[in-house]
Amino acid sequence: MSWETVIGLEVHVQLGTASKLFCGCPTTFGSPPNQNVCPVCLGLPGALPVPNEGALRLATRAALALGCTVHRRSVFARKNYFYPDLPKGYQISQFDRPIATGGAVRCESPERGPISVPLTRLHVEEDAGKSIHDRFANATAIDLNRAGVPLAEIVTEPDLRSAGEARAYLTALKQILVYAGISECSMEQGSLRVDANISLRRPGAPLGTKTEVKNLNSFANVERAIEAEQARQQALLETGRAVEQVTLLFNVGTGAVKPMRSKEDSHDYRYFPDPDLPEVVLSDAWIAEEQAALPELPDAKRERFAAGYGLSAYDARVLAADRRTGDYFEAVVEAGADPKASANWVMGEMLGGVHTTGAGAVAAATLAALIAMVQRGEISHAAGKTILEAIAASGETPAGAAERLGLMQVRDDAALERWVEQVLAAAPKEVDRCRNGETKLIGFLVGQVMKLSRGTADPKAIGALIERKLG
Amino acid sequence: MSVTPADVARLAALAALEVADDQVPALAAQLDRIVSYVGQLAALGETGEPAADEPIPGAGFRADVVRHTPMAAGPADFAPQFTDGFFVVPRSKARADG
Amino acid sequence: MNPAAVAADTAERLDRAGSLNAALAWSPAALAAEARRVEALEPGGPLHAWPIAIKDNIVTTDLPTTCASKILEGYRSPFNATVIDRLRAAGGMVACKTNMDEFAMGGSTEHSAYGRVLHPLDGDRVPGGSSGGSAALVAAGVVPAALGSETGGSVRQPAAFCGIVGVKPSYGRVSRYGLVAFGSSLDCVSVFGRTVDHAARVLAAISGGDPADATAAAMPPLALDPPRADLRGLTFGLPVEYFPPDLHSGVRAGVDRAIGLVRELGGRVQEVSLPHTAYAVPTYYVLAPAEAAANLARFDGVRFGRRAGEDTDLTAMYRATRGQGFGPEVQRRILIGTYVLSAGYSDAYYGKAQAARARIRGDFSRVFASGIDALITPTTPTPAFKAGDKTADPVAMYLADVFVSAVSLAGLPALSLPVGRDSGLPIGAQLIAPAWQEARMLAIAAALEARLDPVAEVR
Repeated sequence: MSWETVIGLEVHVQLGTASKLFCGCPTTFGSPPNQNVCPVCLGLPGALPVPNEGALRLATRAALALGCTVHRRSVFARKNYFYPDLPKGYQISQFDRPIATGGAVRCESPERGPISVPLTRLHVEEDAGKSIHDRFANATAIDLNRAGVPLAEIVTEPDLRSAGEARAYLTALKQILVYAGISECSMEQGSLRVDANISLRRPGAPLGTKTEVKNLNSFANVERAIEAEQARQQALLETGRAVEQVTLLFNVGTGAVKPMRSKEDSHDYRYFPDPDLPEVVLSDAWIAEEQAALPELPDAKRERFAAGYGLSAYDARVLAADRRTGDYFEAVVEAGADPKASANWVMGEMLGGVHTTGAGAVAAATLAALIAMVQRGEISHAAGKTILEAIAASGETPAGAAERLGLMQVRDDAALERWVEQVLAAAPKEVDRCRNGETKLIGFLVGQVMKLSRGTADPKAIGALIERKLG
Repeated sequence: MSVTPADVARLAALAALEVADDQVPALAAQLDRIVSYVGQLAALGETGEPAADEPIPGAGFRADVVRHTPMAAGPADFAPQFTDGFFVVPRSKARADG
Repeated sequence: MNPAAVAADTAERLDRAGSLNAALAWSPAALAAEARRVEALEPGGPLHAWPIAIKDNIVTTDLPTTCASKILEGYRSPFNATVIDRLRAAGGMVACKTNMDEFAMGGSTEHSAYGRVLHPLDGDRVPGGSSGGSAALVAAGVVPAALGSETGGSVRQPAAFCGIVGVKPSYGRVSRYGLVAFGSSLDCVSVFGRTVDHAARVLAAISGGDPADATAAAMPPLALDPPRADLRGLTFGLPVEYFPPDLHSGVRAGVDRAIGLVRELGGRVQEVSLPHTAYAVPTYYVLAPAEAAANLARFDGVRFGRRAGEDTDLTAMYRATRGQGFGPEVQRRILIGTYVLSAGYSDAYYGKAQAARARIRGDFSRVFASGIDALITPTTPTPAFKAGDKTADPVAMYLADVFVSAVSLAGLPALSLPVGRDSGLPIGAQLIAPAWQEARMLAIAAALEARLDPVAEVR
């Protein structure tokens, strides 16, 4: 009999604010240790937290993007435990009255197809600092630059069934959060971290005892950790042993999970409302502003691209996966280029290397002009690629670059005739095989002529000419 | 007795307080006296809606603006141990990740 | 008087009052520096050249802030409390830091790591607490006014014991930024004055919204009312629960004197009821320790303050630092606060106490909504008691708060006014007003003060 894996994920995502959740210190990554600190985030006697409206706005926007119910009233609570990178001896979080509950994320399960992963809640909390254990002998170094950075914690129901589903959910979630401008979701900088709750059961049976694997910092590691823990639990259960409710750490090097804390000092967090912070009260108008600030999300954009521009499901998904790529594609279409051709160019050329943004970016209108030249037959597709490379570096117009490089399509029949003769004379074997019915070799011959013409010939015209000569 | 010496040990661990063994019984007795005293709250009936907290007028949010708070002294001046820009604490022997 | 002369005079008075053990940190040099600061200001500030004593749980960069605890021995805050900045802007000078019950936990100023404070009129007695050092210095004539803090009566009670004026504002009237937190939902920076006017002027100077404190009301500074000659048109409530049959007869006589005077000045007086009063002390002794247990978690020997158990492991360092740094009363309250929030007990204690607090607040709202302008009660159940009388039984000490706790839980403004003496010991009457009605409350107190002899025997 098989086991069913039940997975719930808790994702901590940094809200992309300039300042910390409860003080004016910057959230900049990579500063020297203990530079971005003040009495509030150091937890000095007498200091008090004041909530950052920007963080609450981003959390609200995230909740709306995920289809959660945003609560007009929510409460910051203290979660009490001692750890040296937790300056106040408590973390300011939200407990029984989070800013948002419910919601769902749609994604593609590798096993089950399209699924909708229900969310339990989204709440706002402050990050802790960083403990560095390998800096000093027998001592731990503490850097509090991160302490107080705003996070949203997004918790799913235990509705995921495989490591692959967990990854699909995370990919979709990240896409939404990046789209809506809530977070950069950079796992390298720790702005997205995942805890996974895992249990096994016989299909249809009640939930088994769960364990929690903490602080997974890449999607690949989430998958590996879930698989490792799944195997560990299965081995226990199949030899008649029980799974203990423990917190585990994933070892990136060995791929194994091991218990972090023993059960004895499992924590009693003694949550209670933080008396330093009034109840968070959001007006309907304030929430409506965030709703209005929400951009079109990936799902909607994908559907609109497919329906509105007649793109394939695949093309629509690729173009909508990244907000800037999608925007660029639409700008190219708006500049007059054919949607299907624009999709091919943006996906093929732009994603391939020539960038749509940043230094060396090709303006959407320029690409549209280039696409139009190809469609009018003024240049070949191959020449178009060369021209794109050139203008990305030089900033010329497509027509200017085509002229300079001599890549305008050659319509001179005499020149075509000359190139074809030259190629046929140089490849007598291939010519014979063609005549004997191996017509696919015509493509090879066309390619040779294109090479000779440095891409300026029209491949269709060459094909016709070769067929006539061999015919 | 509602607060036992075992409770005192548990509470002291949660509160990170070192309590000498010979103080535990006396402390348990004192805490028990206090807990029994505040236990009279149990007599408070369940009837009637408690009045809601009165909101503090105008208490609100801070704009998301970076603001450096000048400090008259830095961590190196007030920390028990501060080396190379880090606060330094003894390593934890209890934690696997320590 | 010019600031330098005031500074020198204050130094001399502090020196003479040294035996009270009321001041923890001060120096003639620091006072002289304060005087120079004031000299650089435009004269005419409402507190120009007033020396003001500061309870040692209000952080200052120029003098250490210890909260009368060993754990903060020698600690110098890198920032000033908002109230310190405001006092100075108004022309005030920080005279000294004052002794207190450790972390403001206590009602006698016996629970200080730096020794108890003596009552200025009788050294065998306590000045009250937890702001006993500030109260004693005002009562001894060292300073005209002082800052204290209230969580559950820590200014009104010592004001009553010492025969001075003690004013607790509405919760949110004064910024808590820089007040070392005890029970954050209750803590109020509060004021002692030799007279109502002294206290009122200091309160007005430190009041008003503060962007650094989310619980400070966004209001302009308190505007004081002009003095009143009479109390006509005002109705005063006497809550029956505050006048038990066994009330100390000297206290009773003192409050009766104030009530008689209210009538003479044209005020109406009527009995009212605050039925949940009996729950106030137990509610307070659940909520304040619960908040304190969390507020005091930051004293962990990691970032500031005194560390012990250096060469051990992390947990042992925490436990040694806190076990050796906190005194017994603070440890008791941390343990109680931990208990009432811990799994399985939170609903029965913390949850119940929150519900009781709402009822207590509701009692006051109903009475004030019924047309009562202010309440008159005793401030304390007895005059100042002897040192050592209540240290053996923490609950006996807590019961000294019986008339002051409910006001703190309800966040209301209240003051203690000296109304005379019983066998040479001061008696205080408490005035309680609706939220944000400090100006009228102070005007009423001033009208009574003008007709009272605070050193006359009440019976």
